[in-house]
Amino acid sequence: MAVKDKIVSREFPEYIREPNPDVGLDESIKELTPEKIEKTIKAVLGGRSARIKAVLETCIHCGLCSKACQWYLSNDEDPTYAPVAKMRMTIWEMIKRDGKVDAEFIKQCARIVFTECNICHRCSMYCPYGLDITFIIGLVRRICFVLGVVPQRMMDQDHAHATTLNQVWLSQNDWLDTMQWQEEEVGADFKDLRIPIDKEGAEVMWLPLGAEPKTGIYHVERTAKLMMAAGVDWTIPGPDVWDSSNMPMFLRDFVTMQRIVRGLYENAARLRIKKMVLTE
Amino acid sequence: MIDFIKDPSFYTLVRGPLVWIAFLIFAGGSVYKIRELYLLAKGEKAVLPFIDGKATLRSILHWLIPFASRNWRIRWPVTILTFVFHICLVVTPLFLLAHNVLLNESWGITWFSLPEGVADIMTLLVIVSCIAFLMRRMFAPEVKFVSFPTDYLILAISFFPFLTGYMAYHQWLLPYKAMVILHMLFGEIMLMTIPFTRLGHMFYFFMTRSWMGSQFALWHSKDW
Repeated sequence: MAVKDKIVSREFPEYIREPNPDVGLDESIKELTPEKIEKTIKAVLGGRSARIKAVLETCIHCGLCSKACQWYLSNDEDPTYAPVAKMRMTIWEMIKRDGKVDAEFIKQCARIVFTECNICHRCSMYCPYGLDITFIIGLVRRICFVLGVVPQRMMDQDHAHATTLNQVWLSQNDWLDTMQWQEEEVGADFKDLRIPIDKEGAEVMWLPLGAEPKTGIYHVERTAKLMMAAGVDWTIPGPDVWDSSNMPMFLRDFVTMQRIVRGLYENAARLRIKKMVLTE
Repeated sequence: MIDFIKDPSFYTLVRGPLVWIAFLIFAGGSVYKIRELYLLAKGEKAVLPFIDGKATLRSILHWLIPFASRNWRIRWPVTILTFVFHICLVVTPLFLLAHNVLLNESWGITWFSLPEGVADIMTLLVIVSCIAFLMRRMFAPEVKFVSFPTDYLILAISFFPFLTGYMAYHQWLLPYKAMVILHMLFGEIMLMTIPFTRLGHMFYFFMTRSWMGSQFALWHSKDW
């Protein structure tokens, strides 16, 4: 394919990518103004916290983090996929230009931090200084999130969490109904099988991922069988929050992120649970 | 130019007040920068409570010993280069016979001195490593992409004191006295710029490692 069919960055000619249309990025940038962008960048980066300062003033630009990154390794060691390059193309440029960047630049940042980084923290394990590169990528994600420039699929999950506190738009009725239905269904084969809801003082509270009661029903059944076979005194929470996947964390949507974690712990405290078991 | 360098008043400045200024700026600046970062971290609430002394020590040790971390092993040429460079860079000036003689003449104190031949080779190693770093910065794609003029500048700052020192010892190019004056000047520039450039990784290394080492210990993982 000829280069003209690809996206070439204005600022960084080395950054060449396949087009990847996404309503969440392409449409949302139309509502941005330079003032809004500048204000957001300055608000998020704020008074330069210790962690930002430490990274900016220590990074010696040695490129030793690159071999940590699965994106770098699986793209023929293309330098624009290296963790340090992702900082250079996003936050360094924002700071250099004092937040005066345009909507197109924000879109490019969103593409880099959301679709070319898994925030896995491996680069910090490879950096000789142990710099928290993931924290920096998270800040850029936060800037993009506050500006509303997020891939549509991720934004949808975030909205689901903000509305229903789970990522699959499952109401509490549906959640309880699904659990009781599963107990009945499997109970035909195993007479002692129970899915205890809101059992106070149980030892273990199981917190599934959102997709399990929605599209992976057999997971619920299998977990119940496992718990029965192992003789575990277990329960599931009745009221929200029960979904342990925390998608808003990946967007750095701090408000929703905290509501979920708080809800999980409140359920555990209410039922006096000893252990929380999460699906992963 | 050469007359200016050899001028006695310039010599007096470089060997007298400027030495004091350089050391004061280096010490004061370092304390200031460390304190600044510490106070910022203290204000952030989420940093200092998570610092774990044992994890800090383990993390720092694994990265100060060659090949003790995974990245030092898979990047072995860079590892050899960087350890040779940093060890020679720190050890040579501290234990150089000529520096010790100056100290002895000024304050009457002396400590261990390296044999002159060894010091000569170590200085040469710093010079060669600097050139190797320059080559890496210019030709390794992942480094080239993130190289700025300041990166070349800080490399030059650490290169010239050693180059002029080496040339003065061998009495090349310029008369000995002129070269020594240049050597003192570059050394003073280096001392003064350490706290205020990214050469400050000299002390920030321990602080950033402390944070990441503690974080990874919290996640029951290793950061080396």
